[in-house]
Amino acid sequence: MNHVLEIKNFSKVYSGNKKAVDNLNLIVKAGEIHAFIGHNGAGKTTTIRAVVGIMDFDEGEILINGHSVKDESVKCKSMTAYIPDNPDLYDYITGIQYLNYMCDMFSVPAKERASRIQKYADVLKLTDSLGDLISSYSHGMKQKLALIGAFIHSPQLFVLDEPFVGLDPEATFHLKKMMRELCDAGTAIFFSTHVLEVAEKLCDKVTIIHNGKLMESGTMEEIKGSHSLEDVFMEVVENERQV
Amino acid sequence: MKGKYRYLLRMQLYNLFGMNRLIHSRDKQEKQRLAMVAAFGVAAVAILVIYTTKFSNSMAEAGLGEALPPLMVAVSSLATLTLTFVKSTGVLIGLKDYDMVMSMPVNTISIVTSRITLLYLINLMIGFIAMLPSSMIYIAYEHPPICSYLVFVGALFLTPVIPMIISLSLGVLIVVVSSHSRHKNMFSLVLSTAAVLTAVFASAKTQSMDAAQITNLSVTIAETINKCYPPAILFTNALLHHDWAGFAIFAVVSILSGIAFTAIVSRYYKAWNTAVFSHYAKKDYKMGALKSSSPFMALYKKELRRLSSCTIYALNSCIGMVLLLIVAVMAVFFMPSTLRQQVEAMGIMSIIQNIMPIALAIFVSMTSTTAASLSLEGKNRWIMCSVPTRARTVYHSKIAVNLTVILPALYVSAIFIRIAIPCSFMQTVLLFVIPTVYAFFISVLGIYLNIKFPKYDWTSEYYAVKGGAISVLATIGGGLASSFIPLYLCILFQEYQMIILLGITCLILLATLTIYYKVCQTQLYV
Repeated sequence: MNHVLEIKNFSKVYSGNKKAVDNLNLIVKAGEIHAFIGHNGAGKTTTIRAVVGIMDFDEGEILINGHSVKDESVKCKSMTAYIPDNPDLYDYITGIQYLNYMCDMFSVPAKERASRIQKYADVLKLTDSLGDLISSYSHGMKQKLALIGAFIHSPQLFVLDEPFVGLDPEATFHLKKMMRELCDAGTAIFFSTHVLEVAEKLCDKVTIIHNGKLMESGTMEEIKGSHSLEDVFMEVVENERQV
Repeated sequence: MKGKYRYLLRMQLYNLFGMNRLIHSRDKQEKQRLAMVAAFGVAAVAILVIYTTKFSNSMAEAGLGEALPPLMVAVSSLATLTLTFVKSTGVLIGLKDYDMVMSMPVNTISIVTSRITLLYLINLMIGFIAMLPSSMIYIAYEHPPICSYLVFVGALFLTPVIPMIISLSLGVLIVVVSSHSRHKNMFSLVLSTAAVLTAVFASAKTQSMDAAQITNLSVTIAETINKCYPPAILFTNALLHHDWAGFAIFAVVSILSGIAFTAIVSRYYKAWNTAVFSHYAKKDYKMGALKSSSPFMALYKKELRRLSSCTIYALNSCIGMVLLLIVAVMAVFFMPSTLRQQVEAMGIMSIIQNIMPIALAIFVSMTSTTAASLSLEGKNRWIMCSVPTRARTVYHSKIAVNLTVILPALYVSAIFIRIAIPCSFMQTVLLFVIPTVYAFFISVLGIYLNIKFPKYDWTSEYYAVKGGAISVLATIGGGLASSFIPLYLCILFQEYQMIILLGITCLILLATLTIYYKVCQTQLYV
């Protein structure tokens, strides 16, 4: 399988010399769902922001389908879809204007736009509200709109930061299903989550990060064995604390 | 209630002028940026104080000391009136922290009072700058009795109240009335523009004095101010004629209007905010064909929507061009023929013809949508940073919006001015070319300064557009300096006007290209 995302020796130091991420190495292959777990402030969001090219970094290299995020950022971004942990969208435009804007930016052919939007909006039950201003949307509706905006350009890498926060149970079910479908079509999915049960059921691989350092990385079976992911995570964190 | 009011006020003061960030931030770059903002603010205050002191001193030396009290009340009131109005639509109603604050166990009256107190403290500062130097000069020259000092102190604290309440009432009225409209932003923009234009032309009207009035300047100033702003007469009478009852009325009216306003806003605060935050939703969208655009056009259309959706942004950025259009139309249709004859008789027509391009450039220099355009991305900036387009395309779209605002209005105005004032072929060409160069300059300067000094963490758009946004202040300051300096040079060295104009234009063009090159080299990150 192709290496869609390759993180090599990535480190990020914020001002004040605090190392948010320390020498991280990671590979996400095509058709793989990869969970990225860690406690608050472990370095998950920092890594994700660097991967999607919205945060600069000095050390290491991040490649998407072999292209450097640093040197070919536009090419990398065109292959990636990103949903932040709290997707603030443009309040002053309508849902459909936002989606059309994303289609324009990701060069989705005009003929396919309506059908793709309709498909995802129907599943997430948002079609009726697409003509309304985003400012009238609830938090969950905004999250759904951001998801549709990410799905419509058929990304090769899908990066999500805490995607299940704020979604209703039905939308959560559909999101998991859509992620699996996307993955079956060859997309690599890399997402951070605190909901370990979801990660355990949904993901092929998992990486545990603690204080910016990679603790464990591998297939779900390799990492958790006969235990639950929660037990493994707690054990890793406790061991690290004792060290 | 008192304790919670204090906490609310303290929380707002933390955000004032970014002081708390300056103290607690560990980011060196941010500290430097904030220190620059602080230095800029202190320098601006110092310049204002020096200017007020020198002006008051000149008046006192010319024997016009008695005109100082009404003048300082009027200046302070006018400054409060204007500065509060531009803030009023986004400071009291429709704030982003409304939900959080209203969910706390605290009375609405405490919340409203804390917000009004913050505005009062800012206006008090403005009042001190406007009034304190003049008061001291007045005391030094006129030697009033000791009891007059009390009047001064009272006036310092009370003068901002009435104009502040007038402006806030107008702002709240506009927000509340427009919130009932489906096109609330456009409605609010039209109402606010009308209010600003009324204020500008009303103040211009009061400045036109005839020859007879000028003969007794002291009396004229005092009378004009007292006529235009009645509270000033109460203060003047108290000071000059020891009319304590009048001053007491001034004090009581100020305090009561403050209390009444606070009570009314507190009573309807929740209802008004609900109206502002509730949005028109049809929920009947049917999918149809969608038009595609290039990334640049998509960004450009989004920027235009941003501009039309935010009253304070549009008003602040575009008022220069609105004023220019009105002045140009007035020059063609309402310029009295006697004025034209007088200008020709005085032999200054050629000077006016030559400096007209720079005069137009002054209006252009006031117009920069770009200076706040990045800051206004706020929490949405992850979208701008994560879409697959080069940073320069984002900058281009923002520059294009500013040019869209400036160029059509500029060319229409230039045509009107050309009709009103006969010019040679060369003068006509410069009338179009020089302001166009300034349009590119101010657009590029705005985006460059906003890249350098972004302000993403705002709770109201006001703080990104005004409220100490250094990129906006520096852009407008730089733009005005770049147009006023050549204007003065042209007036001082009339025989070299054409050389000055062409030289300055070349310099501005060079600066524009240099800044543009730097902008294009800058990447966009959150």
